[in-house]
Amino acid sequence: MIWVKLTFGGMGRRFVEAIAAIMILAATSATVAASLMVVEGARNALNRAIRQDRPDIIHVKSRFNRALFETPRSGNLPPLTIPVYEPLIDPADLEHAAGNNRVIRRQSLFRNVVSGDSFLNIYVFGIDPDLEREVSSFVLARGRFLRKDDRAVAVLDQASARALGVDIGGAFPIRKADGGDLELTVIGILDKLELRGAPPRSAEAPSLNPEATDVSSGAFVDIQTSEDIFGRPTLTDALVVARSMSAVPSLVAKLQEAFRLEPGVFVTERYSQYERKVRDFVLTLAVFTALSVATVLLAGTFAANLLHDIYVDRRRQYATLMALGCSPAMSIAPAVVFGLVLGAAGSAIGAFVAVLFVPRSFAIPSLMADLGTTQPALDLMVAGSIVAIGIVAVIVGLAPTGLRLLRQALATSLSEGRS
Amino acid sequence: MTQDPFVSVRGVSKTYRGERSTVGALRGVSFDIRKGEFVRISGPSGSGKTTLLNLIAGLDGPDQGDIVVAGTNIGRLSMTQASKYRAREVGVIFQSYNLIPQLTALENVLLPMIALGRANSDRARELLDVVGLADRSDHNPSQLSGGEQQRVAVARALANDPALVLADEPTGNLDDQSAESVMVMLTDAVRERGKTLLLVTHERDRVKAIDRSLELRSGVLSSYQIELPQEGVS
Ligand SMILES: Nc1ncnc2c1ncn2[C@@H]1O[C@H](COP(=O)(O)OP(=O)(O)OP(=O)(O)O)[C@@H](O)[C@H]1O
Ligand SMILES: [Mg+2]
Repeated sequence: MIWVKLTFGGMGRRFVEAIAAIMILAATSATVAASLMVVEGARNALNRAIRQDRPDIIHVKSRFNRALFETPRSGNLPPLTIPVYEPLIDPADLEHAAGNNRVIRRQSLFRNVVSGDSFLNIYVFGIDPDLEREVSSFVLARGRFLRKDDRAVAVLDQASARALGVDIGGAFPIRKADGGDLELTVIGILDKLELRGAPPRSAEAPSLNPEATDVSSGAFVDIQTSEDIFGRPTLTDALVVARSMSAVPSLVAKLQEAFRLEPGVFVTERYSQYERKVRDFVLTLAVFTALSVATVLLAGTFAANLLHDIYVDRRRQYATLMALGCSPAMSIAPAVVFGLVLGAAGSAIGAFVAVLFVPRSFAIPSLMADLGTTQPALDLMVAGSIVAIGIVAVIVGLAPTGLRLLRQALATSLSEGRS
Repeated sequence: MTQDPFVSVRGVSKTYRGERSTVGALRGVSFDIRKGEFVRISGPSGSGKTTLLNLIAGLDGPDQGDIVVAGTNIGRLSMTQASKYRAREVGVIFQSYNLIPQLTALENVLLPMIALGRANSDRARELLDVVGLADRSDHNPSQLSGGEQQRVAVARALANDPALVLADEPTGNLDDQSAESVMVMLTDAVRERGKTLLLVTHERDRVKAIDRSLELRSGVLSSYQIELPQEGVS
């Protein structure tokens, strides 16, 4: 009880100033928290862009040729070979242009599969199993995924498997370019599938995600197997993963140069968009950091000043405690605790207000056009910053009193401020 | 007498350096006090009386010389050691009471005990009883008269049973009547407990049973004499 009174009691008119200090600290914390939350939201948006858009990946793809697209009108027609993309990319040219950056080859085909007297369309993807798994996501429901040396086996998504009426161990025929059939044995069923840079959906086919505009289902085979089906090694598309983000622009230039004479091959990148997002983020960071710093300097100083006044008033009390034999630490403790409680109250109120009033999604079109709408986030960094502001304000407020108390003779402190 | 002095002040000087002027508050002061003695310190205003008490209490450090109390050189103590020394050995009574306003009389008396980590409310109550304020223990200083406040300060000074009591014009702010009662209580309580008392006061006749008088003039010890027993003292 004595320590509670020593810490908080006997404030007199300084009580109002203590409340004012809390409110100012709260307003400061709220402003800073809100600003930093916006910055954190922008940072998250940027990180999400890096994770999801993968600006380090360059997509090289052939022309998407709708002209060749045709569906058999009745079940007994021979199946047609319908490429999704035209197979125009020479893998050797691509490897050469990509240099020491990783190339993930692909062949995507579209096939009619006749089962009994009905038929269905199915996408077939020839992939590098190990490399492809690093950029696309395959979630297996049953069985296993493709391996490098697998031949004439396929991994299907659930929708395609159901449509084909096959399960693990079962087989289905795919018409090869030379007219013969290749039996593909099913070794795995996919639950979920996200193919990076999937081709646009252009025909009725089984689909895991009926809303998607991109292909969301298919049969995956090793690229060797797809070459057997296709009858050629040229690729429909490929992903080139840059060794570093900064290598992307020159790599794009090299790839464009390599396929300059092939008008059916396009090089697309998401790096420029990412760069614009980075620019947005830097701008957001600068604006809101400046706002925070200005607030802290102005309001924080004000709060520290109020605290200083309160402490000056109580200097004699601390000196008296020391004169009565309390150790310096013991005598200063009420001051420190008082400051910490004040700081904590201010920070907590500020954080609460910020969390309550900062919008869930935030956008400034003129500042963050490319970053788009962000979600302001209260994370450890934000919380730590406002706690730090509270502590610094208290330290700045307490320092002159504390230092004088510890440095000048106690006799002097005791005789100061005598009414 | 061959007894070791309890308080030994040797060649102590203290100078306050202001922005313009420097004041020699004490200049080469030396004297000894034996255990249990009552010493009155007098002298004109500004002669260094408060400075001397502050130095003995370890509230300030001497520029030169040594102050040894019960074998401890006060000037050499660190802040923490000085606090401990005050808590154990010294009871200080200030002219301006220096009670903590938001604490009750009882809590104020408890403070020195808390400093030593052994708060004892019963003992604090007893001490308040000694100074005649047993029924005012729950009152805050603002609810007490000046004389009563100073009596609380007397009780507080005795809280840890210190061997040395320092009182700087304890009645300087009081009217005659309160001054009388405070002085009586102070001297009686200190005498009863066999403590050594250093008392700064201008009032010659009010203080009974003084063993020695010490007079300062401009920071110099001008006389240090054994007080003759006054008439009317039993
Ligand atoms: N902190 C200080 N800074 C500067 N000068 C000081 C300080 N404390 C005391 N002095 C000076 O030192 C001298 C002695 O002061 P001190 O307080 O010891 O006198 P005193 O004998 O107690 O006087 P009084 O009877 O008025 O209380 C005075 O001239 C005073 O102005
Ligand atoms: Mg004085």
